[in-house]
Amino acid sequence: MIIKHADKIASPEVLQEAFEKRGYICSDPIATAVYLACHLQKPILVEGPPGVGKTELAKVTAEYLAAPLIRMQCYEGLDEAKALYEWKYGKQLLYTQVLKDQLGDVMRGARGLDESVERLHSFGDIFYSEQFLETRPLLQALREPDGAVLLIDEIDKSDQEFEAFLLELLSDYQVSIPEIGTVKAKSKPIVFLTSNNTRELGDALKRRCLHLHIPFPETALENQIIASQVPDMDSSLRDQLVAFVHELRQMALKKVPAISESIDWARALLLLNVDSLDEKWVRDTLSLLLKYQDDIEIVEPELRKIMGQISPK
Amino acid sequence: MQKVFADFIHTLRQQGVPISPAETLDALKTAELLGLQGKSRLRQGLGLVLAKNEQDKQTYEHYFDEFFKFAEPASPSGSEALEDGDDLEQQNQQSSDESPSNDGASEVSSSSGQGGGESEDNEQDESSEDSATEVSASSPLGRMLQAADPAAIAMAIAKAGQQESVQNIQLFTQKPLFSYRMMNRMGNEALNQELLALDVSNELAQQRLANRLRSAQTQLQEQVKDYVEQQYLLYAEAKGQQLRETTLQKVKLTNIDNHYMQQMADLVRKAAKRLASLHSRKRKLRKRGLLDVRKTIAANAAYDGVLFHTRWKTTVVDRPKVMVICDVSGSVSRVARFLLLFVHSLQEVLPRSRSFVFSSDMGEVTDLFKENKLEDALAEIMSKWANQSTSYDKALADFSENTLKDVDQKTTVIMLGDARNNNGNGRADIWQKVYLQAGRVLWLNPEHINSWDTGDSIMASYRPYCSEVHCCNSLRDLERILGNLLKHS
Repeated sequence: MIIKHADKIASPEVLQEAFEKRGYICSDPIATAVYLACHLQKPILVEGPPGVGKTELAKVTAEYLAAPLIRMQCYEGLDEAKALYEWKYGKQLLYTQVLKDQLGDVMRGARGLDESVERLHSFGDIFYSEQFLETRPLLQALREPDGAVLLIDEIDKSDQEFEAFLLELLSDYQVSIPEIGTVKAKSKPIVFLTSNNTRELGDALKRRCLHLHIPFPETALENQIIASQVPDMDSSLRDQLVAFVHELRQMALKKVPAISESIDWARALLLLNVDSLDEKWVRDTLSLLLKYQDDIEIVEPELRKIMGQISPK
Repeated sequence: MQKVFADFIHTLRQQGVPISPAETLDALKTAELLGLQGKSRLRQGLGLVLAKNEQDKQTYEHYFDEFFKFAEPASPSGSEALEDGDDLEQQNQQSSDESPSNDGASEVSSSSGQGGGESEDNEQDESSEDSATEVSASSPLGRMLQAADPAAIAMAIAKAGQQESVQNIQLFTQKPLFSYRMMNRMGNEALNQELLALDVSNELAQQRLANRLRSAQTQLQEQVKDYVEQQYLLYAEAKGQQLRETTLQKVKLTNIDNHYMQQMADLVRKAAKRLASLHSRKRKLRKRGLLDVRKTIAANAAYDGVLFHTRWKTTVVDRPKVMVICDVSGSVSRVARFLLLFVHSLQEVLPRSRSFVFSSDMGEVTDLFKENKLEDALAEIMSKWANQSTSYDKALADFSENTLKDVDQKTTVIMLGDARNNNGNGRADIWQKVYLQAGRVLWLNPEHINSWDTGDSIMASYRPYCSEVHCCNSLRDLERILGNLLKHS
């Protein structure tokens, strides 16, 4: 994977520029993290509030490196049968039926029990073999011949047992299947793990990863992001919008608006043909930014004050 | 470079950032990949590898800036020199033959080119050979000071620091010692000899040189002092902190000075948090061995009744109910605060715990802890319950009246108290009832075992009715006992 794309990941700056072209404006630390992940062949653990582009980062990396993106959403109760592999039980069942029919032919003429058992041994055992193996995302990522981008989304939602199970995969890029043996990666995938910090992850997992924290962006960066996502927007309106969102983030809200919300809002304003933010428009579209009624109730009485602060001088 | 990195990582570890050897290796690889030129890029890159949560990141960034500060010379003229002349070597050569100027590198670079090619060895034929102004120092340190190259001086200081292993500094009283040793290592002795020699000579040029060297020497001493100070802040402060913390953990709660109360409170919180993170996991104990026939058949209906999946009966072990009773009377007042602090923290670890306090009347404080801030809650408890004389009789009677009915086989009752009952009879019969009804009864006594049953202590009458009795008078004891409790629950 690395050799193939050596020029594409030559330096953090190259990555930054290429991501920008694909509409993902990233800060220096993000570019450095992806660069290091490619060269050190280590997974990146991406943390940060929801909506700052954690999942998006994996998508854009996959697109840029022209590698398949294999995504695994974690949830409570996820186990290896759903994440790694499972046996195709139906087919195995059919196989035993076929075997039963064949058995008579094989055993015909065998003298005594010993010989029967010997013949049975010489009979190829494929009950537990690749043919009956149903691959799940993790195994699929390891088997991808040209490497892949593996996104393990919201790892914090999974159980601790699953986290422990991931350790082997993340450090050596291999997994053990008891019936078959160890499966090694054909080409090491680039792994992104994302977490919203609903629970503290184990140290063992953190040790194996690069740790990237994506915070809410600065106003200038956010302005750039919206400009690339919603290019038709007037720049003065954009300034206002970004300033407004920034003000909201300073308030004590249940859920502060993230970048994805500001982008949605920008698109909505564009659709509504708004050319300058005023109190009325904000009031009407506030529900796009704030996802809790409590939050809306906190912000509404303050609207005039905030609008006063962000109005262009 | 490895040495520098190892020192840096050592510093971070002392600040409480957990960095494993594997991460150290990663850091070295990262530095190789990113190169050492771009400081900000390196800072970001190492941050990704070394610091794995928000708090650690802040610590890391702070100490990265602190640690790599000395690489840039402190004086303003120095940094200027670094900026306009990247190739230090060249500058070194140029300035080595300059007239003795300690005004900094700006002058040096302005008058550069005079004696460019000469090597430093030419210094041998020194003193009074030429005009009056061109006198050079003979000692190596003197020559360096004469050259007044801030980068070279900074390098020399760092080198001397490493040779004297300043990073082992532990106490602030060691600072002068280390400064002195470093000065010597850099050749201060020889410089002093030279200065003495220069003083006796009558020549004007030599006198002038002596003056200049002396002022440069003082300056250097300042720099070395600063360096040692910096190293002390980097290495020793954290060590001192650690030392204090471990001592505080071991010392008896009754003997802790008021001054350390605040720090102790932090430690208690830390300990409780550690217990919480260790035990807050939902634990499911699978009791394999009993096949759940009904579930197995249901699960395998899809496979024509062939039993592929087996379903086993499982027992979910949930955490027990805990009732903590804390004595807050005068005799235990010194430890009561900490016990309460821990009770409060316990309540966070074990959501089903209930807390009671008494000195004579017993009151439940579970809600008080839940609703109020810790400090307020403690203050209220102390003012409401603490100023009565101890009576286990009354307290246990209250307990039996109000709470005993809620005690069942899953309940663990923990008593924190010294069993000093002002010569009352103690109502051990109630405690017996509690013991019979509860799953487990623990008594943690803050007094040492030798003072039990002395004076008005009636530990002996309660002791038969406890599953476990412990002496618990330091934070470490408390943590150990409660850790065990949580482990077996």
